[in-house]
Amino acid sequence: MLKYGLAYGLLSSQRRAREMLLPAITIATGAFLVVIVFAMSAGIKKQAAGLGHADEIGHAIVLIAVTVLLVGVVEAAVATTRTIAHRTRELGVLGATGVRSRPVLVALLVEPVVTAFFGALGGAVVAAVAGVVLSAVGAAKSGVSASGTTTGIVIAVAVSVVAAAVTSVVPIWRAVNRPPIKSLSAS
Amino acid sequence: MTASEILSQPETSKQTEAASPDRRSALPTSSGGTFGRLMRFAIANIRRRPERFVLSVLGIALAIAAVTVVRTISTSFAITGGDSVTNAIGTHSIWVVPAQGVTYNSAAGALVSDGPPSGITLPGGWTGTEMIAGLWHSPRGQVAVYGVPGTPTGRAVLSPQLAQRLGVADGGTLQIAGHTVHVSVSGGSPALTVSPDLAKNAVGNVGWWVADEPAADHGRNDLGKLFGTTVGLPFTQNPAQTPDKDGKGLVYDTTTGSGALSFAQKYASAFSGQVTDSTLGLISIIGLVLGFVIAVSSFLASVQERRREFGIMSSIGLADEVLYFFLVESGVVFVAAWLIGVLGAGVAVWAVLPHLATPAAWAQASATVAAFLPAMAIVGAIVPVHRLLQQRPVALLTD
Repeated sequence: MLKYGLAYGLLSSQRRAREMLLPAITIATGAFLVVIVFAMSAGIKKQAAGLGHADEIGHAIVLIAVTVLLVGVVEAAVATTRTIAHRTRELGVLGATGVRSRPVLVALLVEPVVTAFFGALGGAVVAAVAGVVLSAVGAAKSGVSASGTTTGIVIAVAVSVVAAAVTSVVPIWRAVNRPPIKSLSAS
Repeated sequence: MTASEILSQPETSKQTEAASPDRRSALPTSSGGTFGRLMRFAIANIRRRPERFVLSVLGIALAIAAVTVVRTISTSFAITGGDSVTNAIGTHSIWVVPAQGVTYNSAAGALVSDGPPSGITLPGGWTGTEMIAGLWHSPRGQVAVYGVPGTPTGRAVLSPQLAQRLGVADGGTLQIAGHTVHVSVSGGSPALTVSPDLAKNAVGNVGWWVADEPAADHGRNDLGKLFGTTVGLPFTQNPAQTPDKDGKGLVYDTTTGSGALSFAQKYASAFSGQVTDSTLGLISIIGLVLGFVIAVSSFLASVQERRREFGIMSSIGLADEVLYFFLVESGVVFVAAWLIGVLGAGVAVWAVLPHLATPAAWAQASATVAAFLPAMAIVGAIVPVHRLLQQRPVALLTD
């Protein structure tokens, strides 16, 4: 049943691609910052050293970049609450026809996870390209690290997908476990 | 009929209710003023979609936490910058720094010079002195050493904190550059004060000049110009300006001049600006923008879901007053987010930046961030209401 839930979720995500645009952009912004911070860590460390307390400020920069990424991901969860509100009757129909809650949960989780994955990947790719361009034109004096870029991409995508799933699961769980009669009678 | 009239209707209809006691139980009156009722309306809506409220608050709180952390660092820098310049130059009116400039050394906690004092001769009537100010690599870490004329040879004056760091006590001795000096613990300066000759031995010929105007020139607001023109050096009242590397130095006029801020305050501002203008500042501002996007997006979703409700309100003349509902709801969201955000930032600062930030800096930063909130809450409420008011009540009711 889970694979049907997954397929149903993917199909509905395709249908709702426009609604997923804003959360994808906010996640991409956060992912862009995370990748840039990791890619240009040498330059940022130099700037942090200029401020004194290089290590502490370096850690603070990474912490704040990841926090901003999480802010972007929360928008995906807010969009999920919007999706649930729009699809209340649909959930009622699924419940009334005997579909179990787990495949419905998977179907609804697909949207935030797909948004987070593609949003983070998009932002990360833009950041990697920006890093290459900045390096080529000599704007990044301390250079752009390939290993830092890779680490940044992995962190951005992993944090986005996990955080999107974690923050979206509670509202989805509440929605799929609501009695079908309530979902069907909702205005 | 206005919203306040509608909202205060239970009080105005008391006569009718008195005439028909049965209706009182059928239509219970609500207590509290207009604001109380608006709060109850907002809380009722929050309870309808608690998960969205929690997520909106979480997103905005994360953004506020990021900005608060950066502001805490920047405020700490401002406090440090103001104190360091006061410790370095005291109350002197003129500060002449070398072409190589001066740097704040975070390990030593004080300003030190990066080059030899400018080769100037004091103009007639002016009083002043050349001051050695450099970095001494002591066995217990880096220490700023100031060579101050008038300090007895063979004596070192240092603060209790520095004495503890160097492991010496009042009346004890300290080895500096092969010389044994007697320690005198007093004051709060983070620098070690010794005689100029000993300072030069310990840190080399690095330092600056400080000077004061003749009595006849007291109160003038062009002392920098007067001094700089006479000694042939450029002058400024702006501490953010740095000396030309190929020049001979720069004269800072530390008097207030025509501005309201003291030189130390302006220096502190320039110091904290290094943080807010850095990568940290940029990233945190982007975070705040994203937090605002979450707030607006959440309110827009709320408007979309409550179209019929607002259609009914619009049709009975409550069109403009819908703004009050959203203002109160927006206020609740932003205040909750601010509380969680600043507390989270306090924990983050304590865990990640224990040596950099102080509780005073955190409290000051939290207050600064709070100043952004009214504007964000108001704009966050106006955007969805504006969208709502662009539609006719019938359009809202028929969807």
